[in-house]
Amino acid sequence: MNTDLNELRDSVHQVLSEGGLAAGEDKTWPLVVELGWLLVALPEKLGGLEQGFPGACAIHTELGRSLAAAPYLPAMLAIDAVCRGGLADREAWVERLTSGDFITAPLAESATFITRAGSGKTKLNGLATAVPSASKASHVLICASEGDCVALVPLGQPGVELIRRPTWDATRCLFDLRFADVSLDDKLVLARGSAARELSRIISTERDFALAADCVGGASALLDMTVEYLQTRRQFGRPLALFQALKHRCADLKAFTSAAEALLLDSLGRLGDQIGGPEAERMGKTVKSLACSVYSKVAEEALQLHGGIGMTSEHPCHLFLKRALLNAHLGRRCDSYELDIAAGLLN
Amino acid sequence: MSSDPTPEALRMEVRSWLEQNVPAGWRAAMTGTDQEAFVRAQRDWFFKLVQAGYATPHWPQGWPGGGRSLAEQKIIYEEVARADAPRLILYFVALYHAACTLMEWGSTEQKEKYLPGILKGDVWCQGFSEPNAGSDLASVKTRGELRGDRYVINGQKTWSTMAQYADRCLLLVRTGKSEPPQGGLTYLLLDMRSKGLSVRPIAQITGDDEFAEIFFDDVEVPVEARIGQEGEGWAVAQSTLASERGLTLVELTQRMRYSLPRIAALMRERGRAEDPALRGELGRLIAKVDAACALADRYLLKRISGEEAPGDASIVKLYYSRTLREFTALGLRISGLQGQYREDFTRGGGQETGNWAVDFMNSYNWSIAGGSDEIQRNIIAERLLRMPREPKNWQLPSDRS
Repeated sequence: MNTDLNELRDSVHQVLSEGGLAAGEDKTWPLVVELGWLLVALPEKLGGLEQGFPGACAIHTELGRSLAAAPYLPAMLAIDAVCRGGLADREAWVERLTSGDFITAPLAESATFITRAGSGKTKLNGLATAVPSASKASHVLICASEGDCVALVPLGQPGVELIRRPTWDATRCLFDLRFADVSLDDKLVLARGSAARELSRIISTERDFALAADCVGGASALLDMTVEYLQTRRQFGRPLALFQALKHRCADLKAFTSAAEALLLDSLGRLGDQIGGPEAERMGKTVKSLACSVYSKVAEEALQLHGGIGMTSEHPCHLFLKRALLNAHLGRRCDSYELDIAAGLLN
Repeated sequence: MSSDPTPEALRMEVRSWLEQNVPAGWRAAMTGTDQEAFVRAQRDWFFKLVQAGYATPHWPQGWPGGGRSLAEQKIIYEEVARADAPRLILYFVALYHAACTLMEWGSTEQKEKYLPGILKGDVWCQGFSEPNAGSDLASVKTRGELRGDRYVINGQKTWSTMAQYADRCLLLVRTGKSEPPQGGLTYLLLDMRSKGLSVRPIAQITGDDEFAEIFFDDVEVPVEARIGQEGEGWAVAQSTLASERGLTLVELTQRMRYSLPRIAALMRERGRAEDPALRGELGRLIAKVDAACALADRYLLKRISGEEAPGDASIVKLYYSRTLREFTALGLRISGLQGQYREDFTRGGGQETGNWAVDFMNSYNWSIAGGSDEIQRNIIAERLLRMPREPKNWQLPSDRS
């Protein structure tokens, strides 16, 4: 890992620690914009920090660690898609988006259909699910499940319905978006045909990596917090951290989180500029699957190790658990990951 | 051997050498064979590697293929795994434990006496563990009593890999009382032909006997064969144990990844390739195997850059041993009843040979030997997570009387 990236990670960590755990969107989104975190992956000629996708994942990890509410993940998917897509005024768009004009994106598989009506107009129908902070976004990035099209769709227009879907995870603000015969603006189409299929694949892979990074950060922070609690809490006249039964469980969790982190960093290192390829897709699925299972395992164990206090709403234990559980169901269909990974070997 | 300009050139050089030199059909030849034939095959393979300079890349310059950086050694190990070459079990202690201990602690005379012998095929074994000193190595009780210019050894060692074929032994004995117990230990280089010494192979649950016990009845070791000072044995032993520097786990995790198709083949063979539950399990296993590889890889990179923290190695070993257990258990389960019928096993074939019952049983080697999983968990908790050590003093109520 290069020094710039380490420094970036440290500074992001520092800023987010000052804001405390699970800081709201109103606090964390302005930081994301003002501190230039949206620029992290961009090349210098676009005013970027040139840290590439690993740089973005370092920030995803830190946001996961602090349970930040800022919708950085969909924003970064949209910025990357705009950079890769064929918009006429692409650079102006990039500038708009990196200075805070927020475009969101679905974090789960959606059922959205593009059809060409008799009039020659392209219409969007269907439902996009798990779209973060849609009420604050100007557009949504849609990769049509049918119709081979990736496009930006303005949200404040007739035919687009925002349905707020409160989740147990209070650090996310998710919406369903229902589209009824929404006309697509040709000027906002990023890709069509095979280019759209490739762009969709890249976005899905990036989403897998980003969610994995969130999990790695969350799992590691939660384990630290749990160990600290066991050091402090005394029963039977000794700190709980002295009991070998508890130490060994923490050691296992440390091994799991280290493994997920190693796989994430190793895979990011191997990506190079091949993020559109089948190997990148395989690595994304693999690290997402492992990181989610590790985060869930750590969260389940952390609650048990905290005992009663972990069941109270004022203790942050449950915030990690709920984010871990939600993360497992974002991205592709939860069970499909392992099956896809196995298919790579069996088929 | 000249140093290669690029890592990629070295990789290609090793790869093409292995393609030409790994004995064809060695797996079949080593399946169901006796141990003597295995030892002969190991010797042949060892001499080939020595000649090519791939047995001692970690030795200093001047030795065959020596002076390689850790990064270059890693490439050699990765290629050995990729080529599915035989594991060099018989010579591991000689090439790593004995050689590295001699390089670090040995006198000039000792280096001149022992190192060339290793390249000529001297087999070394390790005499550390005892019946009552396993995970708790400092409680070694085998006595070494200095009488004039020799130590007289009495006691018993155990779990000594291939000791029945060894020429020499790295021996840790107690020469004095001390608190803490690490203090009274002394490290000796023992000739296995010494009078009063007997070796008894241990019959393992797999039917193999790759370990042995060593018994000492007034065995004499000359003072010149002591390495380090008297009482310095614990520090010397730490060098021995640190000598393989993470390379073994790079090799083993890579071998585990290259063995995944064996599970796929087994699923097809048993008509289970379309079973969604098994496919899901395989998918989860693949992710863990990939993570084990990434852990071992990144651990070695940390060592190369000098950023290793105490306890890091324990994470790699613990994760590997758990993943290996799951791997072999899955193989055994898919095998069904077929897996319960006794079949010949492959010597030197690594941890995932496809004889899943034997592989499963052998996986316990990795969770018990070299610091058990429980010891690794203690180290991770205490060194990395900074949880407190348990108090040293304890007493059961029944002990008080």
